[in-house]
Amino acid sequence: MGGRGRGRGNAVSFNIEQLGFGRGEAGPVSVTQPPPLFPSLENRPLPLIKDVENEYILVTQKDLSTRMRNSPFYLKKSENPSYEKELPVLWNRMPAELRETLPKRLATGNSKVTLNAKKKKVEDPDKIFAKLEKKERNESEVEEDGDGKEDEDDQDKSDDEKVENEDDVEEDLDEEMDDHTDYANNYFENGEAYLEDEEGQDDGEAQF
Amino acid sequence: MSSFTLGHFSQVCSQLLNHYYGEIVGQVGSYLLRRGNRMLNDIPTATGLSIREVKKALAVMIQHNLVKFQASERNNNVAEYTMIHHNVYCLIRYPKYLYMIKRIYGTSEEILLEILLNLGQASASNVIFHSANRLNEANVLSPSALHQSFQRLAQDNFIIRCPKLAENATLLKVPTLEIEEKEKFAVPNVEIEPIARMLKEKATQLGGHCDSEIIWRVNHERFDIELRNVILVNAAARRVDTTAGELYHLILKLWRESSNPDSPVTTPVSYNVIKDAVRKNDSSPILLEHFDHYLRVLYEDSAGLIDRAGDAGGGQFNLDYSKVFENLACASLDSIVLERFGSKALRLFRLTRIQKFMEQDQMQNVAMIPAKEAKMFTYKLLEHNFLQIKELKKGTSNFAPVKSFILYHVELPQVVRTTLEASYKGLFNAMVRQMHDLTENQRLLEKHAMLESMLERLKGDGVPDEEIAELSDTMPPAEKSLVEKIHLMSDNLTLGQTQADETILILESYLKFKSKEL
Repeated sequence: MGGRGRGRGNAVSFNIEQLGFGRGEAGPVSVTQPPPLFPSLENRPLPLIKDVENEYILVTQKDLSTRMRNSPFYLKKSENPSYEKELPVLWNRMPAELRETLPKRLATGNSKVTLNAKKKKVEDPDKIFAKLEKKERNESEVEEDGDGKEDEDDQDKSDDEKVENEDDVEEDLDEEMDDHTDYANNYFENGEAYLEDEEGQDDGEAQF
Repeated sequence: MSSFTLGHFSQVCSQLLNHYYGEIVGQVGSYLLRRGNRMLNDIPTATGLSIREVKKALAVMIQHNLVKFQASERNNNVAEYTMIHHNVYCLIRYPKYLYMIKRIYGTSEEILLEILLNLGQASASNVIFHSANRLNEANVLSPSALHQSFQRLAQDNFIIRCPKLAENATLLKVPTLEIEEKEKFAVPNVEIEPIARMLKEKATQLGGHCDSEIIWRVNHERFDIELRNVILVNAAARRVDTTAGELYHLILKLWRESSNPDSPVTTPVSYNVIKDAVRKNDSSPILLEHFDHYLRVLYEDSAGLIDRAGDAGGGQFNLDYSKVFENLACASLDSIVLERFGSKALRLFRLTRIQKFMEQDQMQNVAMIPAKEAKMFTYKLLEHNFLQIKELKKGTSNFAPVKSFILYHVELPQVVRTTLEASYKGLFNAMVRQMHDLTENQRLLEKHAMLESMLERLKGDGVPDEEIAELSDTMPPAEKSLVEKIHLMSDNLTLGQTQADETILILESYLKFKSKEL
């Protein structure tokens, strides 16, 4: 407070006149509450333009809304998950991770399956060879713990490409599922994206 | 685009997604609009949706050019998804697109565009097939005529080819898409035969076809240019007259053909070229006769619709987008100030805007408004951010109190941005209100719609009038008038949204060209 208004400190730094009102008049109204949610409209707005273009737009807009709402692209909640029509979307132009919602147990003639079948063929010879070798060794050691070898086999499988595993011959999948758990797959961490449908709900939790 | 501020704009976008694609897409879209690039696994936890729903929502949005994806840097097998803000906003302009196409070309092109808008991305054959199906009631058009219409749309760049899968894309988890410049508008050979056959068999789907890998989508940039041109032509027609509008339309076409679409200034076009175009174009006789006068009036006008850039070839003329949109934006702001505060406030606003920096005393003297009123309006404009203050201190001596000058000015980009936000907010409010009205009275509206369609059918079947009157009395007049009211309100809200969108276009264009010139 002391340093302000140098020299003759009596005069204040602004002119009363400059503020815009004389001595006797009231100052500006002080704000005591937040502005109203719906401030009153002082001037009525101009009427809306209604010409040929806007008439057309009105009709088209309603038409478009109805069409979009009835189109298969309009996603509603609480769809029966067992009955689901496939989205008429160009799947081959999208990341693979989006395609995995297709009911793959009942493999319909998807391009995805054929694609992976090709991949499988490319990688199989080496893997098959390794598997056959292992099986030979297993058979020769009969007394060995069956579980141990099974684990190795499973490890082989899980070390493969995730995709390959997914679209392996359906019998494989059924074999694993027959025990009513995906234990064999989950035991070796395959990452969150693998078999997303059921396990996806447990995001974050450890999988046992 | 960085010129959008995400507050109200993203609200408008969420509302649009909800309206056209449903709640699930709306929620996923809102999340991506707020958060930018995200991977698939981040979305279910944040939105509370199941992963299956999220995947479908993303697929729908990618299909409709609302979301783009890229392989994540950390892991090539996973994609990062980003919203394409501008395309989401353009959902509101679809009826305008259809109107423009209908006006420039005709019904078959309009239907082709509508089908493409509905499908998002589709091959030419598919679009032609579905359009023919849609038009088949009239049994007028054959697929080959539609094919020609399709080519016309591609030639004028209203539709564009989507990038195609790169060669090794099928092996990648996240496909890469690429396209060359020259392929963007090239229409492939379309086999008409199979389409015609499928139509005869009343099939609902076109099976495999030869051009199924060549996918098309709507070219939003081209429509933006067209919308801007409409605004400019209307401006020319309003300032002079309709013939001037015609002339301006022609000149715009010449500029578009010769200029780079991204540059803020068009390449100059010479007088002789314009004259030739006018003659060739079969324009009205008035234009041919008074061509000189019209051109002169347009380029001498202060709105900057045409600039004279040189004298070669009888005169060189070009268009500076930043200047003309600055003028248009100012005109919009003026009109807003006028309607909200009155003509005295408008005088103050225009004065300050043109004179750059003014003191309060100066303002009230030059504008010839009594002091008290001037002060009140100045304060109001300041409060609503149409005016800005700059304080200059003039501390000369150590003994006299420090005098400070308060200068008022209009900082145009800031005022435009504030008004733009307010427009988005108004647009959002109108949409929410409309949605509310329609869902609240949904049962009543559906009942009314069913009744109407039933009455139509009976009338068509030749049922006597008394029975029809009896049936229509099942709905009491009170309900009928309520339905009327709801429809009227809904229509007014749609019109309001359309007009707000026009203002938004002008203000956005100003900001866009301003940032380009810097």
